[in-house]
Amino acid sequence: MKTTLKLLWILVVFALIAAACGGDDDSADETTAAPTETTAGTTEAPTETTAATTTQAPSADFAGKVLDAGGCDYGGRVEKISALDEFTVEFDLCGSHPAFLAQIAFSVFGIQPEEHLEATGGAPIDNPVGTGPYVLKDWVRGDSVVYERFDDYYGQKSAHQTAVLRWATESAGRLIELQSGQAAGMTFPGPEDFSVIEGDANLVLLDKPEPNIFYMGFTNTFTPFDDVNVRKAIGLAMDRQRIIDTFYPPGSEVASHFTPCSVEFGCEGEGWYDQNVEEAKALLAEAGLADGFSTKIFYRDVTRGYLPTPGNVAADIQAQLKETLNIDAEVVVMESGEFIQQCSSAGTCDGIHLLGWTGDYPHVTNFLDFHFGADVTQFGAAHPEIYEPLEAGSQETDAGAAAAVYEEANNAIKELVPMVPIAHAGSAFAATSNASGAYAPPWGQVMFNFWDDGNDPLVFVQGNEPISLYCADESDGESLRACAQVVEALYSYDLAGNVQPQLATGCEPNEDLSLWTCTLRQGVTFHDGTTFDANDVVVSFTAGLDASSPLHAGNSGAFDYYSYLWNGLINAPESE
Amino acid sequence: MTSRKTIEMLEASASDQNLLTEKPMSQWRLTLIRFRGRTSGMVGLSIVVMLILVAVFAPLIAPYEPNEVLIGKGEAGPREKPCVHVLGCDEDVEQHILGTDANVRDYFSRIVFGARVSLTLGFFTVTLALIVGSFFGAVAGYVGGWFDNIIMRIMDVILGFPSLLLAIAIVSVLGPGLQNALIAIAVVSIPAYARVMRSQVLTIKESDFVAASTALGASWRHILLRRVVPNALTPLVVLATLGVATAILEAAGLSFLGLGAQPPTAEWGTMLANERNNVFTSPHLVFFPGLAIMITVLGFNLMGDGLRDALDPTLNR
Repeated sequence: MKTTLKLLWILVVFALIAAACGGDDDSADETTAAPTETTAGTTEAPTETTAATTTQAPSADFAGKVLDAGGCDYGGRVEKISALDEFTVEFDLCGSHPAFLAQIAFSVFGIQPEEHLEATGGAPIDNPVGTGPYVLKDWVRGDSVVYERFDDYYGQKSAHQTAVLRWATESAGRLIELQSGQAAGMTFPGPEDFSVIEGDANLVLLDKPEPNIFYMGFTNTFTPFDDVNVRKAIGLAMDRQRIIDTFYPPGSEVASHFTPCSVEFGCEGEGWYDQNVEEAKALLAEAGLADGFSTKIFYRDVTRGYLPTPGNVAADIQAQLKETLNIDAEVVVMESGEFIQQCSSAGTCDGIHLLGWTGDYPHVTNFLDFHFGADVTQFGAAHPEIYEPLEAGSQETDAGAAAAVYEEANNAIKELVPMVPIAHAGSAFAATSNASGAYAPPWGQVMFNFWDDGNDPLVFVQGNEPISLYCADESDGESLRACAQVVEALYSYDLAGNVQPQLATGCEPNEDLSLWTCTLRQGVTFHDGTTFDANDVVVSFTAGLDASSPLHAGNSGAFDYYSYLWNGLINAPESE
Repeated sequence: MTSRKTIEMLEASASDQNLLTEKPMSQWRLTLIRFRGRTSGMVGLSIVVMLILVAVFAPLIAPYEPNEVLIGKGEAGPREKPCVHVLGCDEDVEQHILGTDANVRDYFSRIVFGARVSLTLGFFTVTLALIVGSFFGAVAGYVGGWFDNIIMRIMDVILGFPSLLLAIAIVSVLGPGLQNALIAIAVVSIPAYARVMRSQVLTIKESDFVAASTALGASWRHILLRRVVPNALTPLVVLATLGVATAILEAAGLSFLGLGAQPPTAEWGTMLANERNNVFTSPHLVFFPGLAIMITVLGFNLMGDGLRDALDPTLNR
């Protein structure tokens, strides 16, 4: 009897202590109540599972980490990222950021456990740990990436135990794998293969309404492209429809604006010029070049969705320039990295460069600000007529006002012709017809856990090998696709391009959209068994964003997307 | 008995005198006679002559300019299949006997003009490599000593690299383009000519006729240029003939990799590379430039083999 009473007393005391702790937390910070409410609200998300959404009271001894830029003078967008409690992260930004959610859904901002980032010195380039539907089993260099199903995944678990990601540079090679039944899916069939796939009962073409743009760029710091009449003449002379008809797959269209119309505010303002060779000749004569001139066409021989056959398109543009304006253009093929460095980053290509862009996140800033911002040198000296409205638009919270400034920006682009928009390319993936759940998302990465072709392993073929599997420091689609199976971000994109909560259950902004408070999904574990919490978010962002952090190592250390999408790195050295 | 023997000896002596007074047949004439007896060599020569004629008269043979884009100028679209009216192709369909490429250019015209590029590249490359390689090989072999050592070790180093890899490295430094590809292929070909020339010079410089020239007070330059080199050329001719084939193949390889001829130049390797993704959908676009390369290489190889047989008397035994 005495023993029973003792046990009863002990239980009462523990209950009182527990109650006291809980009460302290609630009174200390109202945001700690958010996880419970928001978690309940996210049951509509398709990836939600009830087992994983157990609400826990935030721990009293949780020491939240903070990434503090010490103000906004460094020019970036992030002032502070704080872990308020285990399941609440606050992003304090340097001004309004309407595209915040669209941006953090980008897979580059995947979350890894702080312990793992520390253990790998901030460079988990071949051993990422995440919360995604697959655990990385092996990366056989030069051959494949092998994944195993993560049985504790909170979302839809894959039907197969193993998924394999392989690569083949040539689209014909990928198609053979598909036709022979060695793969369930492939990326980007060549334009000429569309009809082959459509005519094969064993295959299915997955339309991928990927927002992109292919353009001819000019650098206005070199003659004769410093003369707007020359640029405009070329813009008027090009038969863009001929390029689409001859070299692009079905679903492609002539670009009326730089940004595809599927992106909000993308097509505000006037559409591009119709072809008018006579007017083009007159403009060239006005520039003193009635007999034409000599120049170069720079491009890289790398196939992208926006430019499926680079060599053929370059040759046709060369022919068109000669036919219409007597311009002798020498075609110069450059190595991909050098091409991007010289023609895009440095703006040192003294001719016409052929480049494009595929949207990273569904917001007009992703297209326009990256190309026409005040600091961008790709097209030579930036035009205030373009970048000033863009700066206003990026912080505009009112849709009507935003539409007006983007109209102004698009009209200025048309008037000043820093480039000629050619095509918004249609693109697709392909799958075997027995692959249920096969899809090709317009934004974000295809997730293999939704696919099931009845085989184990499920095999998917893409164009190239990933550069590394730490995608905070990568920018190529092949790496991002490989990473996305393992590592998840706070948000993701649904098939319509809308953002949906992923590791967060929701992010709420303040009135001017400069402070975003994100409530995290509870009960989520990483592949290494550690529990996902707010510090993992802060440390993952610190590794990418804070150049002075010992975790800011990565693969190349460039962290391009962190730098670009957050307007620069915190504590960046002078050279950066 | 003695008198009969004497008569026979006198007759033999007279016969020898006839032989000595008769004008001897030149080495080249003998070679030509032997070469004509080699069927495979003659086939090779025929192919090479035909290719040279095609290259020279390309503007007359090709129905279109090689880079002329036919979009809007006719009915043809991109990657049209071959159409030859006399072989039953519908008269209403525009005739392109090898079809059109992705840029709607007549493929036959491009193949024909491609012969110019390939042959020019092959001949110039081999000529360059032959001159430079022979010079270094001859001097190294004749002078000997440390000079020979230095030259030949450099050649060994160059030979140590796979030729195409070295050519890629050179073009990467010089920049892509036909001219730089020519230089790169020539550079990687030099050691072969240098080694053959050196070995010939080492043998010939010990010959009696060279010793006689030396005894007569001829200068080393005279001996090298007038006595040694002319007698060392035979194996080099064979090597050069076969080298043209190798050079054409390597140039096509470089162009295929995007390091040789640049668009829109009609070059077989570039044409192959441009259409490599369409091997199943438009196989003719890969087949014809491949066939052109194969025939050309085969032609030079057969001719080279024939020449080697003809120039080497030991093979006639």
